[in-house]
Amino acid sequence: MAIYKRGYQRYAGPRASRAARLAVLVRDAWRRATAQRLVTVLLAASCVWPLLCAFFIYIANHAELWAGMDRGLASILSIDHQFMLTFMKVQAVFSVILAALAGPGLVSPDLANQGLPLYFSRPVSRLDYVVARLAALAGLLSLVTWVPGLALFFMQVSMAQPGWLAANWRLGPGLAAGFWLWIAMVGLVAVACSAYVRWRLIAGALVLGYFFVLSGIGAVINGIFRVEWGDLINPLRASYGVWCALLGAPMPAGLTLPMSLAALALMGALLALVLERRLRPV
Amino acid sequence: MSQPVVEIEDLHVALGRREILHGVTCRLGVSGSGRAIGLLGPNGAGKSTLIRTLLGFHRPSRGSARVLGFDCHRQRRQVLERIGYMPETDSFIASMTGVEFLRVMGALSGLPEEIALEKAHETLFHVGLGEARYRTLGTYSLGMRQMARLAQAIVHGPELVILDEPTNGLDPSARRRMLDLIRQMKEEHGMSVIVCSHLLADVEQVCDEAVILRDGAVVHHADLEAERRANRRFVELEVEGDDSALGAALGQRGAACVRETAGRWRIVLPPDFDLRALWALAAAQGLGVRRLTQRRDTLEEIFMKAMGLLRQTPGEAAAGEEVGIRGDL
Repeated sequence: MAIYKRGYQRYAGPRASRAARLAVLVRDAWRRATAQRLVTVLLAASCVWPLLCAFFIYIANHAELWAGMDRGLASILSIDHQFMLTFMKVQAVFSVILAALAGPGLVSPDLANQGLPLYFSRPVSRLDYVVARLAALAGLLSLVTWVPGLALFFMQVSMAQPGWLAANWRLGPGLAAGFWLWIAMVGLVAVACSAYVRWRLIAGALVLGYFFVLSGIGAVINGIFRVEWGDLINPLRASYGVWCALLGAPMPAGLTLPMSLAALALMGALLALVLERRLRPV
Repeated sequence: MSQPVVEIEDLHVALGRREILHGVTCRLGVSGSGRAIGLLGPNGAGKSTLIRTLLGFHRPSRGSARVLGFDCHRQRRQVLERIGYMPETDSFIASMTGVEFLRVMGALSGLPEEIALEKAHETLFHVGLGEARYRTLGTYSLGMRQMARLAQAIVHGPELVILDEPTNGLDPSARRRMLDLIRQMKEEHGMSVIVCSHLLADVEQVCDEAVILRDGAVVHHADLEAERRANRRFVELEVEGDDSALGAALGQRGAACVRETAGRWRIVLPPDFDLRALWALAAAQGLGVRRLTQRRDTLEEIFMKAMGLLRQTPGEAAAGEEVGIRGDL
């Protein structure tokens, strides 16, 4: 029977599980995050650097292509932790811009249209809501971070000499772990900024400001006080310290792994506090 | 006796340092499901705080609140699985079409995916938004958004629906439609409904019980349905002629009455009293009936009394005492 003829009937069948409800939230968040055309454009643009890196890996592993050239070229094209760290830094910047574009659409509209009571009057907790938003954002950011990163790693593994993997095995897991830490940080910043202001444009600017203004402030502190701990309030710099440790690269001057981790943990706690204060049904 | 829909025991709720609810105790919907309960009170009485506490938004500082047998705080998930809530605020998700909105809301309430889509269509037709179901909510008028909010509250077939100011901002025809839908929800679909409203006429039309809050406490709990059933009729009568024997004659027939002035009577008729007998009685005593107004205590009068603005309702006054209205009214 056609629905318009049938009339309303109360549903009395079995209910979906909590996981199924969470999946609905994640899908809804994903739909919102990818709704903008600019996000698609940026996703495409963020593939350029991984493709270039793939090209470098191909060149680096085909000695016949640069035989007879300057021997210095060989050292430039060596695939090691420095290569991976450079790849990570560039993609990290892309991920910040992507989060600034896609992130504000996840929470701001719910705040602007007073939609939160609609979610929280259902069996959905505030934690479920935040986790779903972060999961959608993590999925999007994965496409520009650890997914191409691991693809490059495995490409290198497949092309390199047999001894390369034994000497550089930390690069793959280190890259994945480092990017997951970065995704968590960027995701938290994007969702917290989105929860802090109701206007998407301002929330996006806030996300960019968080990363770029803090890095500027860190540099100013270092310059004025002639110290190096100013880097700790720069999330990219603090993350870079952790990446170096994970990839087995020498730590940057003035940073240690515990200091970097503590700085990131403190930032995460502050962002979680913002979410706790702002995401309330009333 | 069946389990009450809402059972509140010495409930204290504080927002920050300020206590909003001071020991609310009541049992609503004691006679089972399919009843509508009106929640009344002036601004700041604690109605919204009470509703939000039932939804688990606020944590009680003392006492307990149970909905459908589940504790609102400790068993919040079980409670929320069984209720639907229509907020007072203009809450919606602008980028979604009506059908997407209801599908997502239904699925979040636990409907399986394919059922959620079916119920979304079904519910939108039910509330009169069938033709607009593929439009984004941002393009809906205020009245349509109100109906969409009602639809999201019932899409998953809850046992209890909480409606916060459901007729706010609606034009008369939309208001009538909303009240009809509320009546259908309880009468045809067996849902219990809590209606929080400032509009006493709305509550009087659709509710079977009414709870009146003042300053964070329950000041009156009226079983409107029982009052309707009791059919305690209150009549105002004006006659010409010598009415000195009228009181005794009415008393013999089981009516309680008071003579306000010569020729003016307030009478409470017994349930089986036929009004034609009143005409016959007046005729037998040679009295001419100038005015006969039949009425019962309105919810407004009950509300006014609960607020302390009226010492007694006219019905109570007619039963034996004078009607008194305070000077500040």
